[in-house]
Order: sequence, then structure tokens, then C-alpha cells
Amino acid sequence: MSILEVKNLNKKYPFFELKDVSFNLEQGKITGFIGKNGAGKTTTLKALFNFVHPDSGEISFFGESFSKNEFEIKQRIGFVSGGIDYYSKKKIKNITAVTKSFYEKWDDSAYKKYITMFGLDENKTPSQLSAGMKVKYSLAIALSHNAELLILDEPTSGLDPVSRDDLLDIFMELCNEGITILFSTHITSDLDKCADNIIYIKNGKILAESKINSFVKSYKVLEFTGEDVTDVLKQKLIGRKKTKNGYSALIKTSDLQGVTINCKEADLEEIMIHIEKEGEN
Amino acid sequence: MRKLLKKEISLSMHPTAAIFLLLSMMLLIPNYPYYVIFFYTSLAIFFTCLLGRENNDVFFSMMLPIHKKDIVKARISFVVLLELAQIIIAIPFAFLRQSMPVPPNEVGMGANITLFGFSFIMLGVFNLVFFSIYYKDVTKVGVAFNISCIIVSLYITVAETCAHVVPFVKNYLNTNDTQYIPYKLIVLVIGIVIYAALTFVAYNKSVKSFEKLDL
Repeated sequence: MSILEVKNLNKKYPFFELKDVSFNLEQGKITGFIGKNGAGKTTTLKALFNFVHPDSGEISFFGESFSKNEFEIKQRIGFVSGGIDYYSKKKIKNITAVTKSFYEKWDDSAYKKYITMFGLDENKTPSQLSAGMKVKYSLAIALSHNAELLILDEPTSGLDPVSRDDLLDIFMELCNEGITILFSTHITSDLDKCADNIIYIKNGKILAESKINSFVKSYKVLEFTGEDVTDVLKQKLIGRKKTKNGYSALIKTSDLQGVTINCKEADLEEIMIHIEKEGEN
Repeated sequence: MRKLLKKEISLSMHPTAAIFLLLSMMLLIPNYPYYVIFFYTSLAIFFTCLLGRENNDVFFSMMLPIHKKDIVKARISFVVLLELAQIIIAIPFAFLRQSMPVPPNEVGMGANITLFGFSFIMLGVFNLVFFSIYYKDVTKVGVAFNISCIIVSLYITVAETCAHVVPFVKNYLNTNDTQYIPYKLIVLVIGIVIYAALTFVAYNKSVKSFEKLDL
């Protein structure tokens, strides 16, 4: 059974559209949802929860249609957004008191455990918390109602490297406990550290859905001066861009045969940069 | 719904909403446009929706395990409670005002049963106009409130003018409650029925608009 299955999601805006967005989430895995700003990550996530109404497509959580089982499904998922503050001047304990009353499986001892583990002071208000602590509070809420699926919208944006690393450790621990995580971000180095799979969206269209290792291995980075590239090779290059000492471009590993120019392993960031550049060239 | 009402009161309500309820005592002012007292409730509703926008109240509610239409039901139920509380608190002050040894309200409608009937209609009109617009786009609270204000101001102007120029209103309805009780009770019942009907229509329209709204 797929934890989350999205099929042919379409949504048209005057200046942007989601085109046939489809993907699946595997249980107990961290899936990175990447794409540059404005690629459609947040719109897709919002469509999952009916914040925006897709023109067409199907969304099912735990094998059940979201539209028909909204109440039951929301009991089993947690949504954590890095950029949204709720009730910034209310004490955390008051927000929790209201929130917990809505969940059938709320576990007070788990809540206390996470509050202590994350070093959260319940007498503080969200406005008194750092960006990282806000994300941790949202996580504590999600985990205390035994969410089986966490959907995180850019949770690490705006965090310092240490806080980001802390959060990634937490995500990996949760993953080991069987919790499934969908993690949207444009900070690809975070995914290098913790993701199992990636979904790559560009201009509202899913460009790749793959295991992160095989996705990264499917590309190499070529570095060249410009004169040493034949016309045949030029056809195979993806997203050629200027560098300090010449040019760099991406090439599919399967197209490497016969290439004599120096190439190196690609990382997610380089792949993303060159793929995004490809559209501009 | 009980949980959602608790959420409305403890997280969403603007603090002034409770304070404005005390303004019901302004019925003791000898000469004052008394409809304005009930209009303060509308102001509290505006502040609450405005605060909700700043606090991402709708986003928070959308993530709770509830149906989207329950968000509308909770907000309108909260508003009805607030409006009824304002009216109930005003009742003893209306009695006091009528027993005060000063001439009747020279501005317009006195603190009598008719005032309550007409105020129910005013609040129903506000609910219909405000929520019909607000739930089309919950980020444009100001637009919904401005339009509602214009309509309610016109209503108050017409209602107060009637108290001076329409003989039946002036001679029968705008009198001390020791007189013409049956006429006034009819106005009160009609007011309550219109309030309930307009608020019900506001709820239905709001649910439809909110379901369609992309957040």
C-alpha cells in the first residue's frame, strides 16, 4: 500500500500550472521534494490538503481518497511548515491545549517527551521562538498525535547549519521508527544527508522520481574550456554554464562513452543547477 | 463543534470582543444613537477576522482533523454567540434607562423593545454582507468590513430617521415599554426571524464560497 499516491494532478493559474503531477511515497522513507522557488512545490503540497483545488487528478493517503476521508486521514498525518506562524502571541501551552482536543490518538506522554527533547518552553509564545524551534514545536505536535506521515514544507529554510543538521538527525530517527517523510526544499545539501528518494519538479512538471543515489549516479559533471567540445558532445550536454576556469555542464552517465574530457561525480545541487540552466540556454 | 468554539474563544477571538460586550451599558447615556452599541459587536468580529489573518488562523484550522465547512460553522456560531451576548447584556441597561428620571432619547430610537428588534435585523444584515464577502477571500477582511459598514450605516440612518418622521414608529414603536407592547413584540419577533434567516443564508453562502476558495 502506498502511503501517499498522487495521480495526474493538474491545476492551472493565469501564469503557472501544475501539469500531470504524479508520485508515490514509500513507507518509512524520507522523500525529498525539490525544485527551485516557484517550481510548484508548495502548490502541490497545498493541493494534497485541499488548500487549493486541483482541476483534475487523484490524491489518496493510506490507500484512501482524501476528499472522502479527510477527517480520518488528517488524524494520521502531520503538516509542518517552516514559514508559517500560528498565533504568534499565544503561549504554546494554550495552542497545544486546543490542538490536542481534536486528535483521537493524542499521547500526552509523547508530547512531554518531545517538548523536553527539543528544549521547548511551553510558557513561551511562537514569536519568542527561533525558526528552528518553531519547526520543532510543529514536529512535537505532529508526533504527539502519532502521525504516520509527515509532510514538511521547507522546514529548514532560514535555519543556521547547526539547527538544520539537528533537524535532519531528528528526521532520520523518525524514519527509523517507520514514519514516512515528504520534505520539500530547495536546499539540496539537506537531502544529500538524509533522503532516500527524490521527486524533482520543474515548471509545474515532475522531472524525476527516483532513489536519490541512482538519480545522482545517472549524471556526471563535465568541466571544459569550450574549445575541447565536439559538436556531437555538445548535443549531449545539459545546462552548460560558465565557471571560473571555463565551462561546466551535466551529462548523462549513459552518454559518457567515448568522452575524453575530465568528468567528476555530480551532487544534487549541481544536477539541479544545470538542469534549471538548460531551460535558459 | 464544542472543540472548535473553544478554539475560537481561546485562540481566535480578539481581546476587544469581550470588552465591547460591556459597551452595552452605553444604553444608559441619555441621548445617543443606540444602534451603534450593537455595531460595536461588528467591529469585534472584524478585529477577530483581521487577527485571524495575521495569525494564519485559517491555515491552522485547515490542518486540524475537521471538514472545511466546519471552519465556517465555528466562526459564524461564535459570532452569533457574541451578538446574542451583546443583546442579553444590554437588556438590564435598557430597563434601567427607561426608569431613569430623564427625557427619552432625543437622538432617535429609545432603549426599548423595538430597538432590540431593529438591531437584530441590523446584525443579520451585517452577517449576510460581511461573511458573504469575507469567505470569498479571507485575506481581504477590510473589503468585507468596509462594504458591511456602508450598508449598516445606511440602515442606522434610515432606522433613526424613521423614529423621527414615520408616525407609526414615532408614536407607537419608539415609546416607553409600558405602552404598545404587542406592536413592539411583533417587531422583536420579526427582527429575530429576519436575523436567523439572514445569518443562515450567510452561513450557506459562506460555506459555498469557502469550499471554492484556493488558499
